[in-house]
Amino acid sequence: MNTFQPIIDALLDLDKQRVITLVRDALNNQVSAKDILNQGLIAGMDVVGERMEKEDMFIPEVLQAAQIMGAAVEILKPLLGEDSASANGRVVIGTVKGDLHDIGKNLVSMMIKSAGLEVHDLGVDISPERFVEAIKSKDAKILCMSALLTTTMPMMKRTIDALTESGMRNTVKVMVGGAPVTQNFAREIGADAYAPDAGSAAKAAKAMVQP
Amino acid sequence: MDLKGLSGGQYKPLSDDGITTIHKAAITILEKTGMTFESGLDDTLTMLESAGAWVDRTQGRIRFPGKLIEEQVKKAPNRVILYSRDGKNNLDLTENRVYLGTGGAAIKVLDLETGKPRATTLHDIYQIGRLVDRLNHIHFYLRPCIPTDISESDYDINMFYACLNATTKHVMSGVNNEAGLHQIVDLASMIAGDKSLLQKRPFISIITSFAISPLKLCTQSTRIMQEANRLKIPVALSAAPMSGSTSPMTMAGTLAQLHAEQLAGICICQLTQAGAPILYGGIPGMANLKTMGYLGGAVECGMMNAAIHQLAHHIGVPNYNSSGLTDSKVPDAQAGWEKAMTTLLTAMGGSNYVHHAAGMLESMLAVAYEQYVIDDEIIGMCCKVLDGIKVDPDHLALDVIDSIGPGGNFMTSEHTMKYMRKEYFPGNGVSDSRSRDKWEKDGGLDARERARKLAKRILSEAPTSHISEEMDRSIRNRFKILLKTA
Repeated sequence: MNTFQPIIDALLDLDKQRVITLVRDALNNQVSAKDILNQGLIAGMDVVGERMEKEDMFIPEVLQAAQIMGAAVEILKPLLGEDSASANGRVVIGTVKGDLHDIGKNLVSMMIKSAGLEVHDLGVDISPERFVEAIKSKDAKILCMSALLTTTMPMMKRTIDALTESGMRNTVKVMVGGAPVTQNFAREIGADAYAPDAGSAAKAAKAMVQP
Repeated sequence: MDLKGLSGGQYKPLSDDGITTIHKAAITILEKTGMTFESGLDDTLTMLESAGAWVDRTQGRIRFPGKLIEEQVKKAPNRVILYSRDGKNNLDLTENRVYLGTGGAAIKVLDLETGKPRATTLHDIYQIGRLVDRLNHIHFYLRPCIPTDISESDYDINMFYACLNATTKHVMSGVNNEAGLHQIVDLASMIAGDKSLLQKRPFISIITSFAISPLKLCTQSTRIMQEANRLKIPVALSAAPMSGSTSPMTMAGTLAQLHAEQLAGICICQLTQAGAPILYGGIPGMANLKTMGYLGGAVECGMMNAAIHQLAHHIGVPNYNSSGLTDSKVPDAQAGWEKAMTTLLTAMGGSNYVHHAAGMLESMLAVAYEQYVIDDEIIGMCCKVLDGIKVDPDHLALDVIDSIGPGGNFMTSEHTMKYMRKEYFPGNGVSDSRSRDKWEKDGGLDARERARKLAKRILSEAPTSHISEEMDRSIRNRFKILLKTA
């Protein structure tokens, strides 16, 4: 059996106490924090993401799993290098200008974070200029945009245009999502990826930064 | 068969105690938890503060004393009449009178020719309007989809123009900003003759999503709402929380929060303009907890929307709400049962102005031409239920029974002739009740195909412009009208 299977199982059972105990035990047994994170917690969240994608899990359960993971990461943090997450890739995410909906965006943000990437969530109503500025200052490799309103979807295209004008389009992957957004729409506006749910968004983000 | 404005109220999901408990709970929410707000509402905050609300600007909270709420709510009219332009489809919204019609902001339509989804256009708003104009059981025309083929800055005036050209039934829509509101009021005033005539018989009205659930005032929409109050244009106070994501998982909790949002909105309207015509606009919905999307077809949506009328009726304000949503992607059996369930429950609840009741598919993302024909039939049947069973000497037909006698039949009786077109719902032709042989001979078409045929037939007729040529010229001179008719 995979050494980390008990941690994965405990995470999937949403048993916070058991996850924390198992993580502490592993550390006491000289298992590296990085392995616990990548092969235990993140591997567990990958399963959560898959189940979410298949609609085998309620979102409140997904949120609870992510919270448990967050608590476990707190224990590992002092032992992980500063840049463990940023080494995997930095993501800038936000809801586009004119749109104030953030439930879906927050879910995506959380799932990508749980997949081990560094996420800068700018919030809602974010103008193309602010997206571009944040990508530059954070040196982000992925831009994720969300829109719930049919009236704000065109702002995604405007943001991609602004990215092109800034000269950074070739170094940044763009992923879009939100209830009215479709694969076709993503293709039309020149995005690199579309994700129908937070689980697939995390999977796609990971794939984008894999060397 | 005219089935408009019949009395609902037969279905009461909340007991009398339940209603007062939820009302009190909503007051507690407003006194204790309060509402928050986006920036840019300084004038509104000052207005509320001087009326006695407790405003905490650093924490971003408005708390409403129960007394203030009760006082202001009393000022809201208990009857709002939304007019049609020909007077035949006026909506007399009061008590338990029920009217149902279209709604939505869909971005996809199932193309009438191909049957496949495509992006909605300005022309679809016009064509669906023409269809609605001819379907008797759809009582009003609320802009059903987004004109994705025109620029956003042209939305407001063009959506209203397309609706008003297509039908004389009452037209409702949202607007993007206050300037858009002024534009459409100018447009409607031109058609009415002048602004005071429009205010006297408003044949247009506005929806504003003033509240972002839970408990947050949206600046832009609140400002539009207040401006509509000042212009004396009726406004529906839309708030649409989803249980499990933007309101509690439970139905009672969702209703209490939504009632609180409504009371706060009504209070703002009546402080802005005492006596302003408004519709209580609670649209309780459910989140799909597996995706956090909208679950429109849930039977609980019908139950909660019926309860909304009880809560609005309790405070003496006519209500706006939803039925007829479905999560199905095509007009199939699932769409049929989900629509029939929620529309029947909402109508039997006595809801005054029920939107979304025709045309919608895919959890509000899509509409279909043929669905309007099917939903016209469903709405008609639901309203027929409200008509009830009349028991009087003539309907009881004792004389007829006696004169026909045992063993006879009623086919040729005068009494049958008298009632055969009145007593039973005739339908619009989409329901098939012929023999299998005849049905097969006609191609064995299912309900969707039959509805498509009917929709095509109506739309193939020469269009009637409901705006005179002369008026149309003046309107096109003044505004940037993009619709091409005929």
